[in-house]
Amino acid sequence: MAIIERPTDTPALAPSGGAPAVTPTRSYGYLRRPVQTTGWRSWAFTVDHKKIGIMYGVAAMLFFVVGGVEALFIRLQLAGPEGTVLSADAYNQMFTMHATTMVFLFVIPMAAAFANYMIPLQIGARDVAFPRLNALSLWTFVFGGIFLNTSWFLGGAADGGWFMYAPNSAVPFSPSNGVDYWTLGLLITGIASLVGAVNLIVTVLNMRAPGMTMMRVPIFTWMALVTQFLLLFAMPVITVALVLLLFQRNYDATFFEVAEGADPLLWQHLFWIFGHPEVYIIVLPAFGIVSEVLPVFSKKPLFGYPFVVFSGAAIGFVGWGVWAHHMFASGLGPISVAVFSVATMAIAVPTGVKIINWTLTMWGGKLRFTTAMLFATGLIVMFTIGGLSGVTHSVAPSDTQQTDTYYIVAHFHYVIFGGAVLGLFAGIYYWWPKVFGKLLNESWGKANFWTMIIGMNLTFGPMHIVGLQGQPRRMYVWTENRAGDGFFNIGFWNLVATIGSFILAVGVLFFFINVWVSRKNPPAPADPWDARSLEWMAENPPKEYNFERTPTVHALDEMFHRKYEDVGEGDAHDYVKVATAEEIQAVETANRDDHVHLPSPSYWPIVLSFSLPVIAYGIIYSTLLVIVGLAIATVAMFGWALEPPTADDSEFESPEGGDGGEPSKELVASV
Amino acid sequence: MNNRTSMSVPKGASTVRSVSRRLRIAAAVGLGALVAGCAQDAPQNTFDPAGPNAQRIQNLQVPVFIIAGIVGVITLSVIAFVVWRYRDRGQAIPEQTHGKPALEIGLTILPALILIGVAIPTVSTVFALAETDDTECVINVTGQQWWWEVDYPVQDGCGGISAPIVTSGQMVLPVDTPVLVRGTSRDVIHSWWIPRLNGKRDMVPGRVQTNRMQADEPGIYAGQCTEFCGLSHANMRMEVIALEADDFEVWKANQLSDYESPTNELALAGESTFIAQCSRCHQVNGLTDGDGDPIVSRPDLNVYSGAAPNLSYLMTRTTFAGAMFDLLTPECRADVWEAPPDEFGERYLEGVTPECLNRVQLREWLRNSPAEKPMYTDPNELAATNGLPRGMPYLALSEGQIDELVAYLLERK
Repeated sequence: MAIIERPTDTPALAPSGGAPAVTPTRSYGYLRRPVQTTGWRSWAFTVDHKKIGIMYGVAAMLFFVVGGVEALFIRLQLAGPEGTVLSADAYNQMFTMHATTMVFLFVIPMAAAFANYMIPLQIGARDVAFPRLNALSLWTFVFGGIFLNTSWFLGGAADGGWFMYAPNSAVPFSPSNGVDYWTLGLLITGIASLVGAVNLIVTVLNMRAPGMTMMRVPIFTWMALVTQFLLLFAMPVITVALVLLLFQRNYDATFFEVAEGADPLLWQHLFWIFGHPEVYIIVLPAFGIVSEVLPVFSKKPLFGYPFVVFSGAAIGFVGWGVWAHHMFASGLGPISVAVFSVATMAIAVPTGVKIINWTLTMWGGKLRFTTAMLFATGLIVMFTIGGLSGVTHSVAPSDTQQTDTYYIVAHFHYVIFGGAVLGLFAGIYYWWPKVFGKLLNESWGKANFWTMIIGMNLTFGPMHIVGLQGQPRRMYVWTENRAGDGFFNIGFWNLVATIGSFILAVGVLFFFINVWVSRKNPPAPADPWDARSLEWMAENPPKEYNFERTPTVHALDEMFHRKYEDVGEGDAHDYVKVATAEEIQAVETANRDDHVHLPSPSYWPIVLSFSLPVIAYGIIYSTLLVIVGLAIATVAMFGWALEPPTADDSEFESPEGGDGGEPSKELVASV
Repeated sequence: MNNRTSMSVPKGASTVRSVSRRLRIAAAVGLGALVAGCAQDAPQNTFDPAGPNAQRIQNLQVPVFIIAGIVGVITLSVIAFVVWRYRDRGQAIPEQTHGKPALEIGLTILPALILIGVAIPTVSTVFALAETDDTECVINVTGQQWWWEVDYPVQDGCGGISAPIVTSGQMVLPVDTPVLVRGTSRDVIHSWWIPRLNGKRDMVPGRVQTNRMQADEPGIYAGQCTEFCGLSHANMRMEVIALEADDFEVWKANQLSDYESPTNELALAGESTFIAQCSRCHQVNGLTDGDGDPIVSRPDLNVYSGAAPNLSYLMTRTTFAGAMFDLLTPECRADVWEAPPDEFGERYLEGVTPECLNRVQLREWLRNSPAEKPMYTDPNELAATNGLPRGMPYLALSEGQIDELVAYLLERK
């Protein structure tokens, strides 16, 4: 529904008759805006940030499964010497697509799911700034991800590794269309990230509720904001690199052609100037999530909120100055290596600050170890290990031994799985009742957590050993001649890692079982965790318009301060609960806003998104298809522009089954 | 198992041993546990230096790992304490404190100080390892899919080299001599890595990069290409062979020795087969055609990367096909790999004898090389490379031709 209109005596905000006469009522004289509130159309054409967030999450989870299965194939192949599960070619595609899928199609979109769903709720807004662009982001990501994965069935996936170093990515060395799918797929999903970044930045900066200064913004929203800025600046860099590669492979350009005088290191710089901020794009949203979860289950505010905010921002800045630590063996010369080595150590400081702050948040608290809290605590421990192994190879000479070995694989899985993924699961358990109105089962949750933790340590822990024993990455086989036979022999620990990966897979399976067994749980209470931030003032799940009235914010941890009062005298503190969440929500409902305006759904974002893979297939196979794709895009863009700003109210079924009152003539910003 | 190397406990190794003992202590606690006691393990163990360059890295990375381990243990202990001490036991809601700036700043400065302590030796090591003008011997390496060519330019270094030496898969160098490796690539990026001698260095087409190599003792030091280089990246291996100075002189002299015509009928037939089937890519120095003109191979016209291993002295090496396979039978291989340092040179210089030749593997290779090593050689898949294979194509040799070639190649030493 577009406009929630209640019977009211209050005059409309816009002067009556103020609607411009030129406002179209239909696209192409035919299409009104879609109005369905049920069925698939209510999802396909929605611009509601919550539905979009859910779809982002579901799609990301599906890709997580795909990437996970790819990982299991990799581990099966490496379980013993001279593995024969996969051919060399299939293995190279497998590890390329595992990384690509996990980074671009799982972690980034999963973080986008949380950002989409939670940011408007956390800042007291009714939607994001540009709802139709939000839908465009979602569908562009979905179609881009599907496009990328169709390469498996159309001649083979990309086989150059997710870093796709030149000149190995050139046609003579990778003659299948896989690299083209990869390039075009990432260009498409890059559009999704970029559009989403602009949207969320504007949302956070412009749409905060009254009283919510930047230093009262919930920490997840803060970290997500830093992430969006990183995306905003990082995505153009990889886009440039991808376009160069696209033109080299398809239109005879020679950007990385050594015979024509190119320097292959150009690609490495471009890739890692994107690729290292990308690491922080991956972990910062998870840092934000645990910075929400830990205070709630410690019954304390986040320790040093400004330090966490500024260290997050500092990571966002310094993260741009460390890219060449991926290139310590590339031959940059000692001055560059020394500078980037020291810069990399420097970034350990704000990262360490976060770990210290999380620990001190728990210090002196009242800790309840729900599944969400277990995942958050697990993140601190696992990320500490990953962070410290990171420090060991910020030492450039040492890194020349470790880079491109399994030690690095161990390191970044402790960071990405132990950091980002555990954080995302903490967020899933924490916000599940907010999103779906039901709690997840805690017993299955704990089984989920412990199996995943044991599995991940058995998988990635031994990789430290085999890496330091000299096993390089990206090898489709390892040979017994190089395995050793002591306690640290490569053979045994590879087998352990493979067993661990299947335990990890079982842990993830427990999550899906949990979702299934929890589907009939009774409705969750309004405030199941005794939470602290604004989103818990909305109902579970929130109404389409989020808040009954736009809240006014008085403090960081607004919700806590509405629920509790400190009645202690002097330095003594005694917090007394003065209101329950239900009571707070009842007050809001009694004083609800009239004239809540929401944007109408739209056909065009999904159509415009659909044109992109059509163009991409066209680039690979046929110019004719490019023209078809461009035609679809043109139709979609004009339809978008010509669309009436809202659907006519008379087209909606009233939520109460009757007429919702006089149709509003107000315009709603719905870019 | 036959793959242990007796080189793993080098002499001069009191530092190595005490380092590894210190390591063990650190290892008992935390992250360091994962790196301890590696001294007896895999041939590419990164914590088992056998030369001054790797030792320099070792001197840096061991303390860094110990510091990281200590920090990790402290941090994780504090977390464990907090989790246990402050679990919900019905205590009152704690003070809603928003932080203590002095503590915050202190805990920010502390890791910064530790890292400054790490940064200083790091920077000095970076510059020391980049030094190139104190080396006494220059050896070139060139990576290509999927093998390393090693060549020795004419120079006064390396005890004097009067004519270029070209070999592949194994780099032979004199012990205790600082060697400058200059490397590049003919196709994609590869990485030269002999963990026990130094960290890795990418070899990039269009660039010449350097890497210092120096071994304290005679022996064989395993390595592996570590920059992903396509289909058979996993099979692109190499070794460094360190020989005593006089053994090195013997090796050099042999590499420049004149062509020896085959001594028996089978090998003589093999020479013809070689000329017909192999010489368009593989050079054998001194080989002549019927008119007495030298036969010059043209791999630049026949394979995409433009080179193929020089086979003039194949049987002085112990591996083939990018060091993927051993030319020696497992027993003979163990004799070389596990030889004590003072006997190593003698065993290596024996080369591949008829008794020790790994005939099974060599014949398999000649029979159908693409089945043994993943390569791009199927004529139907070579449109992108103008029909040129990447790697050695299937040659459809008869069993008789294979017999002849094995006999011929066995004398290339």
